[in-house]
Amino acid sequence: MAPPAQSQRTQSPSQPSGKGEVSDLKTQLRQLAGSRAPGVDDSKRELFKKVISYMTIGIDVSSVFGEMVMCSVTPDIVLKKMCYLYVGNYAKVNPDLALLTINFLQRDCKDQDPMIRGLALRSLCSLRVANLVEYLVGPLGLGLKDSNSYVRTVAVIGVLKLYHISASTCIDEEFPLTLKHLMLNDPDAQVVANCLTALQEIWSAEASNSEDASREREALISKPVIYYFLNRMRVFSEWAQCIVLELVGKYVPSDNNEIFDIMNLLEDRLQHANGAVVLATIKVFLHLTLSMNDVHQQVYERIKAPLLTLVSSGSPEQSYAVLSHLHLLVMRAPFIFASDYKHFYCQYNEPSYVKKLKLEMLTAVANESNTYEIVTELCEYAANVDIPIARESIRAVGKIALQQYDVNAIVDRLLQFLEMEKDYVTAEALVLVKDLLRKYPQWSHDCIAVVGSISSNNVQEPKAKAALIWMLGEYSQEMHDAPYILESLIENWDDEHSAEVRLHLVTAVMKCFFKRAPETQKALGAALSAGLADFHQDVHDRALFYYRLLQYNASVAESVVNPPKQAVSVFADTQSSEIKDRIFDEFNSLSVVYQKPSYMFTDKEHRGPFEFSDELGNLSIGAEAAENVAPALMVEANDKDLLLSTSEKEEIKGPAYNGSAYSAPLYDASSPSVSSLSMQSELAISNPISAGNASPSIFAIDDLLGLVPATAPAPLPPQVKLNSKAALDPGTFQQKWRQLSLALSQDFTISPQGVAALTTPQTLLRHMQGHSIHCIASGGQSPNFKFFFFGQKAEESSNYLVECIINTSSAKAQIKIKADDQTTSQAFSDLFQSALSKFGSS
Amino acid sequence: MAGAASALFLLDIKGRVLIWRDYRGDVSSVQAERFFTKFIEKEDDPQSQDPVVYDSGVTYMFIQHNNVYLMAASRQNCNAASLLLFLHRLVDVFKYYFEELEEESLRDNFVVVYELLDEIMDFGFPQFTEAKILSEFIKTDAYKMEVTQRPPMAVTNAVSWRSEGIQYKKNEVFLDVVESVNILVNSNGQIIRSDVVGALKMRTYLSGMPECKLGLNDKVLLEAQGRTSKGKAIDLDDIKFHQCVRLARFENDRTISFIPPDGAFDLMTYRLSTQVKPLIWVEAQVEKHSRSRIEITVKARSQYKDRSTATNVEIELPVPSDATNPNVRTSMGSAAYAPENDALVWKIKSFPGNKEYMLRAEFSLPSITAEEPAPERKAPIRVKFEIPYFTVSGIQVRYLKIIEKSGYHALPWVRYITKAGEYELRLM
Repeated sequence: MAPPAQSQRTQSPSQPSGKGEVSDLKTQLRQLAGSRAPGVDDSKRELFKKVISYMTIGIDVSSVFGEMVMCSVTPDIVLKKMCYLYVGNYAKVNPDLALLTINFLQRDCKDQDPMIRGLALRSLCSLRVANLVEYLVGPLGLGLKDSNSYVRTVAVIGVLKLYHISASTCIDEEFPLTLKHLMLNDPDAQVVANCLTALQEIWSAEASNSEDASREREALISKPVIYYFLNRMRVFSEWAQCIVLELVGKYVPSDNNEIFDIMNLLEDRLQHANGAVVLATIKVFLHLTLSMNDVHQQVYERIKAPLLTLVSSGSPEQSYAVLSHLHLLVMRAPFIFASDYKHFYCQYNEPSYVKKLKLEMLTAVANESNTYEIVTELCEYAANVDIPIARESIRAVGKIALQQYDVNAIVDRLLQFLEMEKDYVTAEALVLVKDLLRKYPQWSHDCIAVVGSISSNNVQEPKAKAALIWMLGEYSQEMHDAPYILESLIENWDDEHSAEVRLHLVTAVMKCFFKRAPETQKALGAALSAGLADFHQDVHDRALFYYRLLQYNASVAESVVNPPKQAVSVFADTQSSEIKDRIFDEFNSLSVVYQKPSYMFTDKEHRGPFEFSDELGNLSIGAEAAENVAPALMVEANDKDLLLSTSEKEEIKGPAYNGSAYSAPLYDASSPSVSSLSMQSELAISNPISAGNASPSIFAIDDLLGLVPATAPAPLPPQVKLNSKAALDPGTFQQKWRQLSLALSQDFTISPQGVAALTTPQTLLRHMQGHSIHCIASGGQSPNFKFFFFGQKAEESSNYLVECIINTSSAKAQIKIKADDQTTSQAFSDLFQSALSKFGSS
Repeated sequence: MAGAASALFLLDIKGRVLIWRDYRGDVSSVQAERFFTKFIEKEDDPQSQDPVVYDSGVTYMFIQHNNVYLMAASRQNCNAASLLLFLHRLVDVFKYYFEELEEESLRDNFVVVYELLDEIMDFGFPQFTEAKILSEFIKTDAYKMEVTQRPPMAVTNAVSWRSEGIQYKKNEVFLDVVESVNILVNSNGQIIRSDVVGALKMRTYLSGMPECKLGLNDKVLLEAQGRTSKGKAIDLDDIKFHQCVRLARFENDRTISFIPPDGAFDLMTYRLSTQVKPLIWVEAQVEKHSRSRIEITVKARSQYKDRSTATNVEIELPVPSDATNPNVRTSMGSAAYAPENDALVWKIKSFPGNKEYMLRAEFSLPSITAEEPAPERKAPIRVKFEIPYFTVSGIQVRYLKIIEKSGYHALPWVRYITKAGEYELRLM
């Protein structure tokens, strides 16, 4: 809808400038309002059209509100539609006027024509005026029961709109329950699909306030609901199919047969013409098979062809979206497209956003067998007229070189770049040669010969200049005129605007000095004095540091500046694996395009449904994070992730967690759900078995986090009483976990009932809470779950921290306990185990 | 679709809002316009060309069509692929209504556009995107008024892409098998990439609810029936169908059966990644005589059977941007210098198989060149052509059966055509 009254829009002279025309319209409309002459509808239409056009081009026509409403008493559907449009546009800014329209909208909601009923209802719900909510409830209720499916589709979305205006009204009127009923029983596919979208949104938002809602949200991904949707997949429109597939992706099947059944059922979706459906299906396949290594690989094979087709056919925008996803996949499984690299060759007139992604793909799929061809192709682009792409291509060549395949050929190519004598090519190539030399010092001989012949005057870009200067310093022994080049650079110190270059210059001169002192002495003096006078703090400090170092002891200075060289084996990856996993969890969304998890670019209130929020530690990581690793190892690897996530989020969001994939539940004493759950508020345990002969692993040092060697627990553990309302924030937990030594580590078996009850992490959370053991973070998917619990002594603030890994398929649990008071850790462990053993039986 | 769109915008070429529809009330048009006008100004920045961009909490996804931008804005982590595709659908819908989508046609039809935007999405969730179905909701064209006062029925159908009660005097189906050849040849004359993208484009003018069945010379099917000996069977790499095709049926017995939508649609697309011989081969030699003259000799050869003929052949030859005074001779067709593209375009109306034609061109170059030569353009030779009655893959329609309960007789028309897709030879 057009913005009401945009005064900053410049009007062309031919357009009506406002007032006069609007008042004309007003009089004309008033004349027509009462008239019943034949043909009056046609003249009304013309006038209405004019009003709408004025509105669209930004003229404020809100002053004719009353006349419009009067004129809309008509059976003519076209007039009605235009009037609804008008009203919808101005109602929000004129709530008083909106009240005028309620009457006729409500009447239209009972019209004979379903089309009018639907339209009126939609307009009514779109008014977004809070004090009109009471008028909405009646028509919505009727709309949901309407015999016509069009009205019902509108009404369903109307409920969602109502929820956003007034959540409490929506819940109090029990509309969600009506939607649930409709979702499972309505014959019309679009009604069902809209119910699903509405319910997902409502229950996800409500879940943090009410137990019921979170249970309902769980119920959406329960077996019967999922199967209901799967079986009706074909009747849904393509857009609705995307929504349903997204839902199916959240479902955790109970066994492998079920996984295969679902995949067989959905396989034909890979042939759907709509790329969005195909991507959604791929997401389901990938997530279902995460725990099945072999099948997961087969899935990659199966989805290859559809994905490649999507890249090469369709709009460039689609290619862009699909290529972003391919890039993510290729990072996880580099082999899949290794033989299809030619699909990522760039076409001459593709938009550069597609070319850029293709270059990234080429870099990612390069391996022993195809490197030569890929680099040859990239060199073609380097000579291209499109300079940004040429630069990207050279960078791509460098990245491939650093991946260690066929370095020999690539070095030759890079050196050829240097000889091309194009400024931007030289600049990029210099940076790459520098990185290569850091990794493969053995190539220095070939490279330096070429680099030495480059005139520093032709290099202007700071990054490239810095790279060149670094090489001059590092290889001043091999380059004859290194001291003189440096000297001339220092002479032009004042013209050098980049601090980075000046920093490198100071260091390079120092390096050079220790290799060829007589030739460099003068330059060094000049550099240090220029550096000391530099206005840039870092440059100044570095020059001062060198100066004092030299004053103190020249040989120490040499060992600082010219230490024995060490080749860099791996350059740091810019993205942590944890972030990558989170992005993978959000496959088929913007996260993939941005290469960032969604919490980094959305606000809390705009998180989509099912990006689980804080209230129940309902996580979706863990088992699915690293499919290639054996389960036990994998959980180990995720330790950090879980802990990291809690602290990281704290930095970003403060205590209000709005979990994306990860979250750390926090139970504060005031929360009603806690008090209702912790019926057995205090739990005492009598003197348990002596802990003196606890398993030898007591003394094992936690390889990941334990820094201090463990001490044996005291022979006679005292009783432990836990505080049911303990509170600990994730930051403290993490800190303690790091500081404390491992007190106890035990393996034991879980009862079959316990295994059966552990379908999602939160079932256990609730149970443990009943035993005054609280959860700080949890994650995983069947069969691997991982939890961090804590308990607090009733009388004093002494904490027990527990890491608990449960594998439901082998019914094994492993716990590691750390405690402020080590002497009682065995007692706590027994308490913990007894609590766990009751899980599922109650 | 994980998240919902907040609003849809239609903007002019400078990024100013022509018309917009607010779905969720959390993105304002002022905000979007301010961002987008700035954004498209930075043309040189390659980043600015991405179709998905982020600015202060809002993600903008846009496509361009003629002089109009279509843009979806969202504050949620929505499904980028799906929304971009949705925008393309929107273009199709507008084209159905206004013939051509451009600024002018939007300005003339504000009311219809509002109506369409209203039905195509509700609260940010896509609803109906089939133009024919939408036409049941759209009432504004006065003459369409009398046709329907009944409830929109497509929604109540099991078949959402076709309404009931369609009537034609003459029942006809047109099926075009179109194959596009993509080829990339490097400077040594080696084919580095080639594939074929095919589409079965259908236009149906059929009454009632017809059941259609299409038979192809599909290798898997023919082998299953034990009929490999008869004729050529083909093996297609990746097949995609229009939503009307019963996919499960195809999985089971390879039958393509469907109730078609009314009008034009793509029934099926496929890809073939086997190496294909370049249908038209072009060789070029460039000689620089002295510093002021350049001579180009080009040979074009058709490498298909004599009985086929390519039509509307266009060979685009890159020439230096400072070339002047073209002097061109050809053994067939005509050549025109297109300085705006820095190219010489050689057009040949009809190019029979196994023939070779020549072109010789001479250009003058300025004798004084700039001190720093402009970066050399390495544009490829590009070729466009169409070859009727011919497919590279050898795909054949064995039958197209149309069954409707009223029992009318429908005429199926089938055409085959092969054309150049991305056809590039880096030979100069």
